Amino acid sequence: MSRSMLNDIFLFAMMLVVAGILTMAMILQYRGGEIPCPLCLLQRVGMFGVCFGIIVHFRHGPSARNTGVSMVFALFLLIVSARQTLLDIYPRPGHDYIGSAILGLHMPVWSILIAVAILLAFSVKLAVLGEPRDDRDARSRLALNKLASLLGLYVIVLCAINFVSVIAQCGFGACHTTGYRLL
Amino acid sequence: MMVIIFATMFLALASARYTPRWIGIVLLLACLVLSTGLFLFEIYNPEYGFRMPWLQVRLNNPLSLLRSFA
Repeated sequence: MSRSMLNDIFLFAMMLVVAGILTMAMILQYRGGEIPCPLCLLQRVGMFGVCFGIIVHFRHGPSARNTGVSMVFALFLLIVSARQTLLDIYPRPGHDYIGSAILGLHMPVWSILIAVAILLAFSVKLAVLGEPRDDRDARSRLALNKLASLLGLYVIVLCAINFVSVIAQCGFGACHTTGYRLL
Repeated sequence: MMVIIFATMFLALASARYTPRWIGIVLLLACLVLSTGLFLFEIYNPEYGFRMPWLQVRLNNPLSLLRSFA
């Protein structure tokens, strides 16, 4: 198996995990009734940004720039989630944690772990596999590209649902966790 | 603001798939700038923001602190 094929499998797995996390966040929102706070929504933006770099990789070919774009958004995710965790350690008077705990950890803490995992994964990928090159054979490229294309489409649909949801929650003003403004 | 951020992110993702790469990159950059702006607003806005004024400390006389080390 060539290095570029390993690189593709690695990136596909990363996008699969991030898409799964975003799906879980939406299940918690719609089935659990947990309305996301503004910083939580910005964390979702960070995860969609990570997916952007991977989608471009599969659509337009490998480039270190795609990795850079994804890492910038992973860093953004880390900064926002760290700030929110600091806030939750010492919450505002009258304000408790936003959202329920999963396996004993609240969502912003999970976001920190996710951001660190993404940054670590990209670093390991670059260290072990090096700069991505396009030397795959046509057959293997076609099979994985089809799967990645479907997954990329799923991420775009997730973003569209989030967009509509944000319109319902925030309208064109500030977002609040008390309810959906337009419903 | 959040609506615009998600709109640009959605357009960036769709552009990454269906248009030349630079269009998606420009939209993504716009999304990042808007997101950073909103994040800073959320932190520092005294009315709606998430700043933590109860953690901030103000010295009545900053020079007294320096003198204590002297």
